[in-house]
Amino acid sequence: MRWITEGWNRIRSVGRRRALENGLDEEIRFHLDQQTEKHRRAGMSADEARRRALLDFGGLARVKESTQDEIRPALLEDSVRDLRYGVRVLRGAPGFTAAAVVTLALGIGATAAIFSVVRTVMLEPLPYREPDRIVAVWETNRGGTQRNTIAPANFVAWRERTRTLEHLGMVGPVTLAVVGNGQAEQMGGLSFSSDGFRALGVQPALGRAYTAAEDFGGGNAVIVLSHEFWQGRLGGRRDVLDMTITTDGLRRTVIGVMPPAFTVVGQKAAFLIPYSESIERLRAARGRGSSYAIARLREGVSFEQAYSEMRRIYAELEKEAPQRNAARTVMLFPLHEQMVGEVRPALLALVGAVVLVLLVACVNVANLLLARSAAREREIGMRTALGAGRGRLMRQMFTESLVLAGAGGVAGLGVAALCHRGLLVLVGDRIPIPRLDQLALDLPVVAFTLATALATGILFGLVPAFVSTSTASDAMREGSRHGGGRRLHRLLSTLVVAEVALSIVLLAGAGLLMRSFIKLQRIDPGFRADGVLTAGVQLPATRYDLPAASRFYAESLSRISALPGVQHAAGSSCLPPPGSCIVTSVWRVDRPKPPDGQLRSSQIRPITPAFFRTMAIPQVAGRGFSETDTAESTPVAVVSDSLVREQFAGDNPLGRRLHINVDHANGRSDMEWVVVGVVRDIRSSQDGAVRPIIYTPTTQIPARGMRFFVRTGQDPLSLATAVRGVVHSMEAEAPVDVRTLEEVVGSTIARPRAISVLVAVFALVALALAAVGVYGVMAYSVRERTQEIGVRLALGATAASVFCLVLGQALRLVFIGVGGGLVAAGILTRLLERLLYEIEPLDPWTFTVSAVVLLAVAAVASYVPARRGMRMAPVDALRTN
Amino acid sequence: MAKERGDLLQGTLDMLVLKALQLEPMHGWGITERIEQWSESVLQLGQGTLYPALYRLERQGLIRSEWKVTENNRQARFYSLTRAGRRHFSDELAQWRRMSRAINLVLETT
Repeated sequence: MRWITEGWNRIRSVGRRRALENGLDEEIRFHLDQQTEKHRRAGMSADEARRRALLDFGGLARVKESTQDEIRPALLEDSVRDLRYGVRVLRGAPGFTAAAVVTLALGIGATAAIFSVVRTVMLEPLPYREPDRIVAVWETNRGGTQRNTIAPANFVAWRERTRTLEHLGMVGPVTLAVVGNGQAEQMGGLSFSSDGFRALGVQPALGRAYTAAEDFGGGNAVIVLSHEFWQGRLGGRRDVLDMTITTDGLRRTVIGVMPPAFTVVGQKAAFLIPYSESIERLRAARGRGSSYAIARLREGVSFEQAYSEMRRIYAELEKEAPQRNAARTVMLFPLHEQMVGEVRPALLALVGAVVLVLLVACVNVANLLLARSAAREREIGMRTALGAGRGRLMRQMFTESLVLAGAGGVAGLGVAALCHRGLLVLVGDRIPIPRLDQLALDLPVVAFTLATALATGILFGLVPAFVSTSTASDAMREGSRHGGGRRLHRLLSTLVVAEVALSIVLLAGAGLLMRSFIKLQRIDPGFRADGVLTAGVQLPATRYDLPAASRFYAESLSRISALPGVQHAAGSSCLPPPGSCIVTSVWRVDRPKPPDGQLRSSQIRPITPAFFRTMAIPQVAGRGFSETDTAESTPVAVVSDSLVREQFAGDNPLGRRLHINVDHANGRSDMEWVVVGVVRDIRSSQDGAVRPIIYTPTTQIPARGMRFFVRTGQDPLSLATAVRGVVHSMEAEAPVDVRTLEEVVGSTIARPRAISVLVAVFALVALALAAVGVYGVMAYSVRERTQEIGVRLALGATAASVFCLVLGQALRLVFIGVGGGLVAAGILTRLLERLLYEIEPLDPWTFTVSAVVLLAVAAVASYVPARRGMRMAPVDALRTN
Repeated sequence: MAKERGDLLQGTLDMLVLKALQLEPMHGWGITERIEQWSESVLQLGQGTLYPALYRLERQGLIRSEWKVTENNRQARFYSLTRAGRRHFSDELAQWRRMSRAINLVLETT
């Protein structure tokens, strides 16, 4: 442990340096005087004695310099020397260095990338004032977990009665046709209560927010724009305040512009508009709309207090307005939870995967270092004999590891950047992972990367440095290599077993996710998505009331059907699942109405008669709709299979009647709808779920927005311009959103695809690393057992038997690793349950295939060292000692 | 090459310094005299080479120094062995004896 004392003394000498240097001069003077005196006593003259003494002493300046080197803390110079030596050593073994650096770069880079994602999405505080005091308010069925939008009437009541919350405001997404500069365009924005600004504690960067008077007064039409809208669409013009923007035909004045990168709970919005409804109208509004609420906890109030108060208020409201609020209650979330809650399981899975990869990378590099140390034993032994202390040697080897880690870290930054791009491409707009576009390689990420590199360097560098320097001194003392070698081999073997086990876990996980994804892809959606173009049209509410909109859509549809190349054309008010259709409660007329807690709900889809034909949804019974189903004729409905099972179990549904809690075109909501037909269910491609659907004619339940579906024999996009042309010829200001149906369906499975691809990439990386690990340990083992192999060969063993010996040893290790890995995988894959579709976490087929793949790869990796052992000439083998 | 020889000599020089200090504390010049009695070739590079060695050994904690007054009433820095130094010396001596015995055995077996 001399190196501890040495280090301590070095540190102390920093203080004593001046004293030591002065003392040195004194000491040398004393020496020279004594030597001069000695020569004088031998008979020389004073001058000659002096000269002789100086000669005896040797170069004065050099001695002073060397001694001062010893005084000065040479830690820095030593370290620089270590560094240069380390780099030279690494350059001398390019294969090893490349393998190690690439391994480390992969592990460190992936870790850094995921860290930046987690940090941006989950950890960074929200850019609002005191964000942990802000809550989001939703409604839900009592005992349920689904978030439902709130009823404006409830909102008004809460606002008046709450004493724990303040600045209660509603937030609701809205898509409008916006005309700023020229062409109308569908843009996504938010209806945002004036109190919302105060709940979040934000103000526009330019201009002002609208006041409560403007919001509830409903008079002046105002709008607040986002920074990106102002810069992007309006070219950042200076006169933006007070300019006019038209939304859905309504002229609004711009009164403010929000700061850059402002979002409401992660939702990007091009504009913010007030609800513009008076309190009375809100209170009288029936139904729920599409908004939730945000609010701020009052000073000194805790989240629990607010939650229980809101629940109590809701219980009162339940009694006051049973048909609206029966069997329901309120849900409160801290704002952060609102943003992150859905993404958390996927992100945590990613973090787990990446940490595993990093561990495998470290184990691998440690492995390679240990394997290489066998070749350096002679060098180490010699340096020890020449006086290098063990501490010095360890520091030297450690520096090499740090150089490797440093190179790996720098390369890892590149890998991290690639990962960022990959993530954005894979995930991007399709999945609303909040704030994902704010990913950047900024200082905290770089610092984290370098810190990880340092940590991995210490992790994989320490053990080999210890082990190889200890075997070295043993080697020189006892003149034999066996003792240390065996210990080393056992250590290496343990490492490889661990690596193999980790790889199995990742392979199994990736296998499960991929199979789940393939199953999702194969889901029969219940309709044919190929060859269909969709076109979404939204008419400005100010110029088209519901009847006018219906006439417009009917006319457009007939014109579209007449276009060349169109086989069938139809319209529906919402996209196929999981499109946002009206969901409301349904019950039979000929049975007593179930109590409110047990009311079933269903999706309501207004469609035109050609819909089933266009989408190729098979009719199971009865008829579809036709021109005779109008606003004045009997209200009719076509239902899906699952609805029949739910409501009519066993009975023939045709001819029976249903109550649907929705407004008929004539304004009444108490109509009785006759079931005239049954069709096959359609499935959501996102989670394979089937939801009951009730189709009605658009003439009977009109829609403000319409999506046209156009089936054609040619490429659907070739009709895009023609369809747009039809709509624009009738209404120039109506934006048309054109996409193929396949694109729409494809976007719903984007998230499962992204996750399974990511984990598969990780698994492949881990597999490669495990292969390198097995190779490394086998190569070392063969070299270690050179003598033994030589003896066997000399005593008559065949080359084949040596080959089997080495291979068998490798496979034994791998088997242990696979066994342990399968057990670990069995435990860990249970964490993936939420992300899997129709696959058990313990699916035997996946586990078997993972094990087989790994065994095959390990066999291939052991092949080369085994062959090398086989090919050895016995003489060479015996000579190597 | 010269560096290697220097390193080897350095190891030997350290041993001689420690041996010299085994009996009693001494100043730098005194150590020089004693070593020259045993082997003049060691200090072929100059008597001054002793001083870096002394400072290094002190830094490694094998010897310690303090200023004292000589018989001639001069101030000089006296060095003495520490306990770690004594232990290190006997370890190295044992190892040296073992190695030279092994070499002797090989050399004498024709």
